[in-house]
Amino acid sequence: MSKEPPVIEVKDLVRSYRSTEAVLGLNLRVQPGRCYGFFGRNGAGKTTTIKCLLDLLRPTSGTVRLFGMDPARDELAVKRRFAYVPDTVAFYPWMSVQQWFNYLASFREKWNQQLERELTNRFQIDLKQNANSLSKGQKMQVALIGALCPEPELLILDEPTSGLDPLVRREFIKTVIGAYQEGDPGKRTVFVSTHLITEFEGLIDEFTVIEQGRDIVTMETDDARADFRKMRSRFAGELPKLDRVPGWMPRFEGRELEVCVNGDREQTIAKLRALGGEVIAEESLSLEEIFLVILNQNTAKS
Amino acid sequence: MFIKVDFKTGVPAYLQIVDQVKRAAASGSLQAGDSLPPIRTLAERLSVNRNTVAKAYTELESQDVIEAKVGRGCVIAANQSPLKKVVRQRFLDEAIDAAIIQSHHLQFNKEEFLKRVEQRVNHFEEQKDQNRKQQLEKEL
Repeated sequence: MSKEPPVIEVKDLVRSYRSTEAVLGLNLRVQPGRCYGFFGRNGAGKTTTIKCLLDLLRPTSGTVRLFGMDPARDELAVKRRFAYVPDTVAFYPWMSVQQWFNYLASFREKWNQQLERELTNRFQIDLKQNANSLSKGQKMQVALIGALCPEPELLILDEPTSGLDPLVRREFIKTVIGAYQEGDPGKRTVFVSTHLITEFEGLIDEFTVIEQGRDIVTMETDDARADFRKMRSRFAGELPKLDRVPGWMPRFEGRELEVCVNGDREQTIAKLRALGGEVIAEESLSLEEIFLVILNQNTAKS
Repeated sequence: MFIKVDFKTGVPAYLQIVDQVKRAAASGSLQAGDSLPPIRTLAERLSVNRNTVAKAYTELESQDVIEAKVGRGCVIAANQSPLKKVVRQRFLDEAIDAAIIQSHHLQFNKEEFLKRVEQRVNHFEEQKDQNRKQQLEKEL
C-alpha cells in the first residue's frame, strides 16, 4: 500500500534484567493509521517492551524502530512524533491542570488549544484545580488529554483504563481515540497495551498477544472474530464422552454442548455430527474471550 | 436511521454498516440526498474505531450507494432504483434462509414448513383485511 515505514517495528527484541528475561524475542509491526492492541497478562513483558520503544531501556539484543528510526540514535526526531501515557501518572505537586498543560506545551511544536478546551469541558475537568489532587481517574484523563493536544502521529498507551471508573472508562477511551484519529484521518496510530480488553472491543484493528516475553499471536480483529467462535450443539441421544480435543474448552448444559472453534469451523461441525450432535447455534467470541482462548491454547501446547 | 453493530455475528463491523445502509436505501428508510452521520459521530455511537466507519463509507461510495458532498458529508446517491429489486430480493432470501434453518432445528420437514408459511401469509392478509374493515367502520 504505502511506502511509509511501519510506525513501530520490533525485531527479535530481547531484554533481560540481570538474570531474568522480561522480553524473549518479540516481533511487532504496526502500520500507520491503525489502532493496535498489545495484549498480555500482567508480567508478560508489555511494559518492558514499551520502555524499549521509548528508549527508557536499551534492548539486550534485537532492534526497535519507530517511524523507521532508532529511538536511541535519533532521539529528538522520534520523540517529537509520539506521545506516551504511562499506567500511573503523577504531576508536579504545585501545578494546576492549566499550568501542567502549559508546561507540556512548552516542549512541543504544536498544541491544539481547541482540543484542550473541548475535552476538558466534556469531562468536566477544572483547569484551575491542582493536578495532583485530582482523583486517579481524572489524573489519567488529564494525562491523556495532555498526550493528544500536541497532535502526535503515534499515541502509546500503557494500561490507560486501569485507574478509571468502569462507568466512564469506555466512554472516555472511545472519545479520546475518536478525537485523536479525527485530527488526521487514516494517519494517526494508536498503540494500546492492556489486559482489560473488554473496554477496547470494537476499537482495535489488529492485535498481538504477548506471553512470557514472546508474541504468540498477531491477528486482524475481523479475522479473529471470524475464526474464533462458540458453537452450540444438541444431542438427541446419548451424551458423548469427549476425548480431549485441544482448544475445545467444552461446556455441557443439559443436552447441549458448547465448544470453541478456532478457524476450523467445518471440521468442528463434522466432529460434532460424528458424535451425534446437531449444531444449533454459533457466535463469535468477544475480543477478551479470544485472548483467553489464545492463552489457554498456548499453555496447553507448552 | 439506526445503525447497529453486533460483534457476535463474526461479520466484520464495517460490512455490517455497509449492509444496513444498503438495506435502508433499498427499503426507503434512507432516500436519495439523505445524509449519513459524520464518521466520528457514528464511530462513537457504535463504539467502534474511526477506521471501521471510514472503511464502510469508502465501500459504500465505491458501490455508488452514497456520495461525498462538500459541506454535507456523505449522502445517499440518486439512482438507487436499478439495484433495488435485486437487493430487496437478497434481503428477503436471507430472512427465508434463517427461517428454513430454524425450522430444520425444530424438526419440521419441507412440506410442513411450506404449509406453515402459507398459513402465516394468509393470517397476515386476514388481519390486514380486518384492520381495514375496522378503519372503515370508524370512519363511518
